[in-house]
Amino acid sequence: MKGLGVARRWAGLALTVLVAVVALTALPAIAQDAAKEPAYRSFPVIGSRLAVWGVAQLHLNFAAFILGCPIFAVIIEIIGWRTRDERYDWLAHEFVKLTFAAFSTTALLGAFLLFLFVGYYPKFWTYMTSIFFPTYGVYALLFFAETFIVYLWYYGWDWLSGPRKWIHVSLGVLSNLVGTAILFVANSWVTFMISPAGVDEAGALKGSVWAAINNFTWMPINIHRLIANIVFGGTIAAAYSAFRFLSARTDEERARYDWMGYVGNFVALSAFIVLPFAGYWLGREIYAFNQTMGITMMGGFMSWLWIVQAILIGVLFLGFNYYLWLGMERIPGSERYRKFVPPMLFILTIGFIVWATPRTLVVTLDEVRAMGGTHHPVIGFFGVMSAKNTVVNLMILTTFLSFVLYRRANRISVKPWARTGMAVQWAALFVAAAIVVFYGVYGYFVESIVRIGFSVYQVLAVLSCILIVMAIDIPMFKGARSTGTIRWGTIAPRSQYVLILLAVTFTWLMGLMGFARSGIRQHWHVFGVLRDTSAEAVTPALGYAANVITIVTIVFFALVTFIFWLGGLGEKGKAGAHGHAAPVIAGASGGED
Amino acid sequence: MRVPVGVKASLFALAIMGSYTYFANSIPQIESKPPQELSLEGGNVTPAQLVKAGEEIYKTKGTCEICHRIGQKGTRAPDLAGIGSRAATRKPGMSAKAYIIESLLQPSAYIVEGYPPIMPAVDKPPIGLNRSELWALTAFLESLGGTVDVKLDDIPKTAGAAAGGGAAPELKIPGDPKSGEQVFAGKGTCIACHKAGKIGASPVGPDLSQIARIQTPDYIMKKILDPASVGTVAGFPPNVMPKDLGTRLTAREYTDLVAFLLTLK
Ligand code: HEC
Ligand code: HEC
Repeated sequence: MKGLGVARRWAGLALTVLVAVVALTALPAIAQDAAKEPAYRSFPVIGSRLAVWGVAQLHLNFAAFILGCPIFAVIIEIIGWRTRDERYDWLAHEFVKLTFAAFSTTALLGAFLLFLFVGYYPKFWTYMTSIFFPTYGVYALLFFAETFIVYLWYYGWDWLSGPRKWIHVSLGVLSNLVGTAILFVANSWVTFMISPAGVDEAGALKGSVWAAINNFTWMPINIHRLIANIVFGGTIAAAYSAFRFLSARTDEERARYDWMGYVGNFVALSAFIVLPFAGYWLGREIYAFNQTMGITMMGGFMSWLWIVQAILIGVLFLGFNYYLWLGMERIPGSERYRKFVPPMLFILTIGFIVWATPRTLVVTLDEVRAMGGTHHPVIGFFGVMSAKNTVVNLMILTTFLSFVLYRRANRISVKPWARTGMAVQWAALFVAAAIVVFYGVYGYFVESIVRIGFSVYQVLAVLSCILIVMAIDIPMFKGARSTGTIRWGTIAPRSQYVLILLAVTFTWLMGLMGFARSGIRQHWHVFGVLRDTSAEAVTPALGYAANVITIVTIVFFALVTFIFWLGGLGEKGKAGAHGHAAPVIAGASGGED
Repeated sequence: MRVPVGVKASLFALAIMGSYTYFANSIPQIESKPPQELSLEGGNVTPAQLVKAGEEIYKTKGTCEICHRIGQKGTRAPDLAGIGSRAATRKPGMSAKAYIIESLLQPSAYIVEGYPPIMPAVDKPPIGLNRSELWALTAFLESLGGTVDVKLDDIPKTAGAAAGGGAAPELKIPGDPKSGEQVFAGKGTCIACHKAGKIGASPVGPDLSQIARIQTPDYIMKKILDPASVGTVAGFPPNVMPKDLGTRLTAREYTDLVAFLLTLK
């Protein structure tokens, strides 16, 4: 049975490599032929645009997962290696197993996407090739390197253990470096389509391809996607654990997957907290590249999109907090902190409302007249960036507070300076909140260019607060007296649905942001350079986009479930493959995660 | 009967996505249609038809409404109501027609006071209007308070031919930014109230670190000579900025100072 599984996986690798080789060697030839071809062909039944849309989104979902998951898998492996805690090593292996299962599907979807471009958008493809051909080779090389490293990493787990563990960990680190490089190369293509650089007015490359790669939005998208991938990997892994938790038959299993879900969620949350900052940076670069595009994005036909986005982000924040609060219930001693929940919920709710208030909405002419302008007299006040920056920072602080309380739920510091320490922590939180609010309000009285500078102070206040609080927290609770161990596995089952909610919401949000990134080009393949002259050049409205996103997301989850099941991940009760005994979690000492 | 976990989880996930989808479908549905190409060359059109076509372009392909309003002062761009007559007064010796055409093809040749130079040349991508469209658009703008007299031949032959047409002229101030920086920190005493990039830190007046990006050279020059003439920056007290700077600085120092400020972006 096991032999068969391995054979099947190697067959999968062979197939992946074969497809990639064929696709990449065929490229130049295909690109040449394209010159004589029509600009577009139409894909049967659903049309080319939907085909590309669906496949691109699926490919992206899978790619984000297999790039995001190893990032924290290797960190967890290192923790396990340094602390000699077997639990972490098991968990890291579990995460890599998930990654691994999704690997060939990602590659196949990528090849399919390429096929769609070459076949159905030949003119577009020829143009992109004329600019980016040198990067294709790099991409192929990186891709091969990544495949082999991940295979070694996964299959070498037992072989490279003990004194050779460092080699194994290095493989993990290396696979992440290569994975990030792959992401950066692919990003250069997408970002060039949004904000082309390094080309003349006719669209021909002026100097080296580097100028085209290093365009306005490249770095911001690199960073944004890197962080988002971690969040995504974390939520998917957590949802997987939730599923295992809910279908578990023994307490031991429940405890194990409760813990795994907790770690996955913790990873997602930590990365999610910095995501809005990366988002603002990206937005600013888009404005810097082209005012008209920036304004279309935030105030034009896309303005409603940001409200939907804000709602999704609000749901995510609430979900993360709710999960932590539920998690505290399984920690003896947490009763002390229950009183903080209502005020935190209040702040989050207010934040949610303010954030979901639009800036400028495209409304009908009659509505404009009724409101006396394009900005609503009352809610328009909340609509400006100043208010939004402020509440998102407050929501981040609140979420951070939830986390800090969670950490100390079952611990009582034995340090003589604990009182002072806590006082300083609270002071740091309040000062940070005060700075955020102060600049938020002050922002209404100054020029927008000055205001943009304020958001930097707000971010700095929040980040330094996090640093100060943690710098005190870690020594303060070293060797702390315990009020009881975390009763892993006893968390309320509804918490597991929260994990599923988070995964589904984040996946959907990724689809939406993909639509925003692509839709902002409107009727251009490459903005201002290569026009979309196909019959499907219309950028659809949000409702239509939402329908497509939902269908693709459903397909994604169906595929993931199927693949995880196929990969032998569904084996009931059995502790992981490769003789990795699943650790016993319940009653494990400490609970410091 | 117990419902299997798989079924419950799937239904839950579907319900979540369903509500997002429902919400997205319940808000105003706005599509972005690709602009239609308009060709009037050689054809016979009445001025009324022309104006109508121009209005259409103004609202759709021209994307002018992103920044402009008619009959309402925007914060991004001037109100275009009455532009048909106002245009004649903008530049001495320039007709309304010529000024409007110039505004469209070389927006930074004349910068309306109080606005940043962000308007794109509308015959270049991404807006990329062709000659016919420019003709109709000009007619429409003329119709706002003026008389429609534009002919296709008034639109330069090079317009709309993407590669053609010179780059917008850049304003050059004949000063030396290095000496200007010294004036800023020394004799001008600006540093007592302003921050400018790496130098200065005073919060009394606005941070000037990006002044050249947000304000026009014209505004900056006036602000130094006569601070009150161009209004007060929101959030700052009026009458604090010294009024006698124009008399204290030599012409040389003044141009150097302006040249320095124009490097701040
Ligand atoms: C990105 C914002 C933006 C867009 C889009 C834009 N404009 Fe402008 N426009 C401005 C700004 C700012 C000014 C004032 C500064 C200047 O003179 O360049 C201006 C000035 C003008 C003027 C001169 C007004 C006067 O009072 O002298 C005209 C005419 C004009 N625009 C017409 C148009 C038309 C027609 C379109 C659409 C094809 C358009 N603009 C698109 C920002 C924009
Ligand atoms: C005594 C304090 C003071 C001094 C000295 C001073 N300023 Fe100012 N300045 C202000 C204040 C206050 C404002 C904002 C209120 C206003 O607009 O009048 C301002 C506004 C400005 C602005 C407009 C900024 C904007 O965002 O639109 C410019 C430009 C400027 N100052 C340049 C200078 C220069 C150049 C000097 C030196 C030659 C100078 N100032 C010296 C106080 C000062």
